[in-house]
Amino acid sequence: MPAFLARAPAAPRDYAACSGCSLCLLVCPMWRGSHDPRLTPEGLAKGLQSGATVRELAAPIVACSLCGACDPVCPERIDLSGLIMDLRLRSANSLPPNSPQPAVIVELSARLHQAAGAAPAAGVVSRSAPVLLPGPELRADPALLARVQALLGLAVFDDDGADIALALELGVEIPQQRLHGFLDSLRGHTIVAADGLLLRQLRRWLPGSQRMGLGPALSTRAAVRSNLVPSDLYVIEPRAFHGDYERMVGYYDRLQRETGCSLSLDLQRIAIPAASSGLAQKLGLAAGDDVQAKWMLQGRKPARIVVESLADRAAFERVCDLPVVHLAELGEDPQMMQKFRHAFG
Amino acid sequence: MKLFPVEPGTVGPCPVAPDALQGIKRQQTNPARWNGAGWQDFVAALGNAGVELAEGTVACGVYATDAGGTAYGMPHGVVIARSAGQISLLLKAAQSHRVPVTVRGGGLTTEGESVAFGGVLLDMTGMSRVLQIDAAALTVRTEAGIYWHSLAEELRRENLDYLSAPLNLTSSVGGTLGVGGIDVNSARLGCSADQALSLQVVTPTGEIVECSDSENPELFQRVILGYGQFGIITAATLRVRPYTPLAMRYFYYSSLRTAIEDLQMLDANDASDYSGILTIMDCAVNLLVAFDSDEREAVFHANWKSRLRGYGEFGFALCMAGHYALRPWKFREALYLLQRKREVFPEFRRPEYMRDGKMHDRSVVFSRAVWKHWGSRQMVIPDLATSADKFIEAVERGNAVCRKYFAHYTLYCVGIKLRPEHQPHYEMSCIPPDAEGWAYGCEFEPMIEGGVYSRDHFQAFKNAIYDIGVDLGASYYRFGGMMKGYIRRVFGDALVDRHLAMKRRADPAMILNRDVIF
Ligand SMILES: Cc1cc2nc3c(=O)[nH]c(=O)nc-3n(C[C@H](O)[C@H](O)[C@H](O)COP(=O)(O)OP(=O)(O)OC[C@H]3O[C@@H](n4cnc5c(N)ncnc54)[C@H](O)[C@@H]3O)c2cc1C
Ligand code: SF4
Ligand code: SF4
Repeated sequence: MPAFLARAPAAPRDYAACSGCSLCLLVCPMWRGSHDPRLTPEGLAKGLQSGATVRELAAPIVACSLCGACDPVCPERIDLSGLIMDLRLRSANSLPPNSPQPAVIVELSARLHQAAGAAPAAGVVSRSAPVLLPGPELRADPALLARVQALLGLAVFDDDGADIALALELGVEIPQQRLHGFLDSLRGHTIVAADGLLLRQLRRWLPGSQRMGLGPALSTRAAVRSNLVPSDLYVIEPRAFHGDYERMVGYYDRLQRETGCSLSLDLQRIAIPAASSGLAQKLGLAAGDDVQAKWMLQGRKPARIVVESLADRAAFERVCDLPVVHLAELGEDPQMMQKFRHAFG
Repeated sequence: MKLFPVEPGTVGPCPVAPDALQGIKRQQTNPARWNGAGWQDFVAALGNAGVELAEGTVACGVYATDAGGTAYGMPHGVVIARSAGQISLLLKAAQSHRVPVTVRGGGLTTEGESVAFGGVLLDMTGMSRVLQIDAAALTVRTEAGIYWHSLAEELRRENLDYLSAPLNLTSSVGGTLGVGGIDVNSARLGCSADQALSLQVVTPTGEIVECSDSENPELFQRVILGYGQFGIITAATLRVRPYTPLAMRYFYYSSLRTAIEDLQMLDANDASDYSGILTIMDCAVNLLVAFDSDEREAVFHANWKSRLRGYGEFGFALCMAGHYALRPWKFREALYLLQRKREVFPEFRRPEYMRDGKMHDRSVVFSRAVWKHWGSRQMVIPDLATSADKFIEAVERGNAVCRKYFAHYTLYCVGIKLRPEHQPHYEMSCIPPDAEGWAYGCEFEPMIEGGVYSRDHFQAFKNAIYDIGVDLGASYYRFGGMMKGYIRRVFGDALVDRHLAMKRRADPAMILNRDVIF
């Protein structure tokens, strides 16, 4: 192609570029729950354009679930979820020095600083070997984690950056030393990460690296894929999906064509977030709502729900009696079952 | 030019004189900001009535402009619509305190019609629930603030679809029924406003009334295509249809006239389910034709395709190569066409929307392309709506204006099938009075492409297009706000005065969308 026709992918733009098209609002779970334009990425961008302060914009900053659905639909290419993470960080930093902080945040800050001072974990996994960053939810379910490992044939990386992922979510400053230590330990590895938000950031922090979400990693396995059937509703983990939208939309489109299962996508091919929880829910200050999971099931009659994320499993178990299985539970490879007998019960 | 302040309920002097010369620069007719008299008493009255009103930057900043991005105004406060009862209380208080209320759906107007220059901004998108889908009767009852796209999402769960709606995802049902609503199937199914079977309306004095062609027909006739002058649409019953993907075919022309003749030939013969013209300037003219079923497409191939004078993609590329080889001084234009083709074409062929050669969710495909490739913080889209026989002249003259004002632009042309029994709905609307059978609309959309133009430049361009409408006796899809100086020129004093008298009876304090038309 002649050079003059080739255009480099454009860099993300900021809120000043918002044209008010409202496309982001259509996909935003805050909007679905409230029908209040202030609780939308558009409201936030327009608020900033009108000179609103971070404090005045606290409601959407706190309520956002960082699902990332708004990012790929924005025609002005504004990094909306990145903007919200940034505003969370700024709002935390703008608090008066001695103002009371939720215990989770205090404890997380301490953990990050401790990790920043600690020596990097001794390399259990050789450089260049693929590694699994399971995150706290998967670690809390050892049987499922063992299945995942067995299916992927991957070692669990000791430092899976769970503190960093939580800091991103809560808007807590990550000490540079901690971040660099973590990133250095990952350099050269192929990474499979269960946490979509962390994966999204790794894409920025380690641009040349090979990364993959847990969903695509598992669903490329024949043992898993061959067990997906047309009567399944396959629920995509939205953060990883939206964080790498152009690639992922193609990947899942092929998955859908090959298996016939239906996907948790809306008509814009955006992943509907099932378990949508803002800061208050993350801090344990409020219960999550099930509006999204119910909407996903409206008018659909799947025989089974297949989830990539354990948070989604919990959301569906609250709203329906259908069997809800994790993707890893689909893989019933006989050889693997032999090797990891304990995990298959 | 001196603009005179206009008292509510009186007719202001037309800022565009009837004998003005064609093509001269004109001032914008941005309405003056309401001065806020009695606002606090009004706020107290709303509070007593239990109507929540939000004030301040965060609440009002979202509404500073509309999709056009050239008219800026701030409301004093915002009410998010929640029910007809709440809106009724709002309007009753607004009448007695003479506070203007500007209604906003998707805010996709481009002439500032949905921008509040003081007073209350009523955001209808708070009323976005689908109330009932009747799959047997093929109807849906929905709150009117809902975006067409959200309605489509819900209908699709029942394997249904709306009939026709603007190709932009974020226009609302209520906003569209009051304006028109044109889709690439409107040449067959009519405009969105023609789909409405009945409406729930809150009148400017706060009555909640159900209306249709048989129940309160006068109100129905005025509210449909009425630019929000005679009531706020709070719920609508619409016709729907089974969902189908569509087979899309493209034909390319280098002549606007030939393409329009072919479009009108197809429409007149009901040869396709969808039809429209989308251009890159007047160089690459794309006639798109689409079908809901293989049977309809087979009939097209048998009877009509050979009559079309357009080329296929490859044939047109060859034709263009020959054209520009003989005109090397136009190489920049050729490069632009090439670049535009490379950027835009893949949008219409994204694999996730294609199955077995058919396009799914066309409105998403079109709308995303529209916002991505045509959208920007300023959108200037004047248009002309004419009878079928005046259409070619209107487009050719409008095209010459585009060439004069902008380096790059797009034209979008579609037919609108008219329903003779709806003639009373069409009075003083976007449907031109002399149209029979079909009306035709053309949007003239300059590509802003990050360029910086003065508001005067935009306004001069729009005036030049609108002047063509006056000259031809046409109408406009978007009339209101900044171009309201044209209303009298195009419809004449007698008709406008009759509607103004109706408006003053219905809205004694002239509070509802008062700056749009009168
Ligand atoms: C990028 C772009 C693409 C477009 N494409 C198309 C297209 O393909 N086809 C087409 O037909 N149009 C198109 N339009 C025009 C636009 O879609 C129409 O103007 C639209 O239907 C308006 O709907 P809305 O909800 O945005 O109304 P608004 O802009 O919010 O309001 C329109 C008018 O109706 C009034 N109003 C709003 N809601 C109500 C209500 N519930 N009751 C009474 N009055 C109300 C407002 O006060 C205003 O005067 C396009 C516009 C843009 C910017
Ligand atoms: S990240 Fe999700 S919840 Fe947050 S603004 Fe975007 S779409 Fe809404
Ligand atoms: S999608 Fe982007 S440009 Fe459109 S309203 Fe949202 S933030 Fe603004």
